[in-house]
Amino acid sequence: MEGIFLRIADFAKQLFSSLNFGPEITSILMALFHVSAIIGFVLLNVLVLVLLERKLSGYFQQRPGPNRLGPNGAFQTIADVIKLFGKELIIPKAADKWVFILATIVVFIPAVMLYAVIPFGKKMIAIDLNIGIFYFIAISSTATIAFIMGGWGSNNKYSLLGGMRTVAQMVSYEIPLVFSLLGVIMIAGSLKMSDIIAAQKDVWFIILQPIAFIIFFISSIAELNRAPFDLPEGEQELVAGPYTEYSGMMFALFFLAEYANMVSISAIAVTLFLGGWQGPILPSWMWFVIKLYIMIFLYMWVRWTFPRIRIDHLMHFNWKFLLPLSLVNIVITGIGIKLVNWLNWF
Amino acid sequence: MYGKGLLEGLKITVGHLFGKTITQKYPEVKPNLPPCTRCFFELIEEKCIACGICANACPNNVIEVQSVRGEDKKRKLTGYKMELGYCLFCGLCVESCPTDALNFTQDFELSCYHRDNTVYYFVEGQTDENSVEDKVKKSEA
Repeated sequence: MEGIFLRIADFAKQLFSSLNFGPEITSILMALFHVSAIIGFVLLNVLVLVLLERKLSGYFQQRPGPNRLGPNGAFQTIADVIKLFGKELIIPKAADKWVFILATIVVFIPAVMLYAVIPFGKKMIAIDLNIGIFYFIAISSTATIAFIMGGWGSNNKYSLLGGMRTVAQMVSYEIPLVFSLLGVIMIAGSLKMSDIIAAQKDVWFIILQPIAFIIFFISSIAELNRAPFDLPEGEQELVAGPYTEYSGMMFALFFLAEYANMVSISAIAVTLFLGGWQGPILPSWMWFVIKLYIMIFLYMWVRWTFPRIRIDHLMHFNWKFLLPLSLVNIVITGIGIKLVNWLNWF
Repeated sequence: MYGKGLLEGLKITVGHLFGKTITQKYPEVKPNLPPCTRCFFELIEEKCIACGICANACPNNVIEVQSVRGEDKKRKLTGYKMELGYCLFCGLCVESCPTDALNFTQDFELSCYHRDNTVYYFVEGQTDENSVEDKVKKSEA
């Protein structure tokens, strides 16, 4: 069980090299194979997550959730996807056509690129960059531009306002998010994903860095634009923010990117705080998936428990509470590391 | 302490998660309504003495009782019409019935497409021709 995916990859590699195209083309084919595997993983997860979200939201609110299509509503997402495919793609006449269309692609590409550095299991990482976590932060922050593009391209004042609100929120919350990761990186002494996981062999970083984990969790919710920080969308009270003018598959791409981001940020939480793929008995990738879904469950639990907070409270909370707290956490971590080193030296 | 309320909220929702759902799957499963629900009426013809107290008690003139005097000079019920479109379900008719012939039932599926369908006849074989209004109209004509 442990090496099942590695064996599939080896098999693909042998298959491609047996075609005798030369090493360059073989490596390109292998990269394509990896990319398609990752996109498959993303799409599969989104399918499961949409259903899971709707079912869990139902259970949290004492109702059964979707329960008409298939056994206990299991085919609901499939019906939703078919509906979205069938919808007309409407591009408003006054919209900035290219920006409007490009925004959907710009939001989706970083969401997939993030998976390059996620360790799904033992040796199951597409590229083990030595600046892995830095790459993750850099790429995830580029998703912000898509929201302002969508808002601007729609040529609709509500979209633009929604886009600006999204960007303000995401840019602000990125700072405590990154600072909360710094403590972990300081203890691990590396930005490389495999090193960070190896450093958690004995004790998970959630135990050494509980405050950092809480800060990371809160600011990642804001980063994902999920309730209670879903000001950009605000389904019930605001117009859908930058998504207002989007329809059909273009809307679905935004939706897809949102869930893809949720999976990737949960994966980062697992890697940095919950010991990554490490665990006894079960194969490593299974541990990764279990921990991933525990994180996702936490996000959903929070979403369906708390009411939305006001935009000024949101900003105050970030700049006046989370940011100073994350800075203090870094200082304390630094002192702690020095102390431990000093004690070891004696 | 900050965050105590947040934890309380999380506790409540996780309780809901593992608790029973309160939603009723309505068309498949009929809801179990409280016993005093006022939805529709039922008339027990054998008990009815056609006294007309219910019709008098009604504030909206919903009820129309038709009867004939039998050979023993007792009233016999021939028609019982309710125009539920006017009914406000106050229950005065049910309360005032001396023989408990009129009762509420829990059948709430009363929606219909036309106003005419809100008129209900409780005695079998009763037709609208017997109604008082029609007689008045006929006499006027």
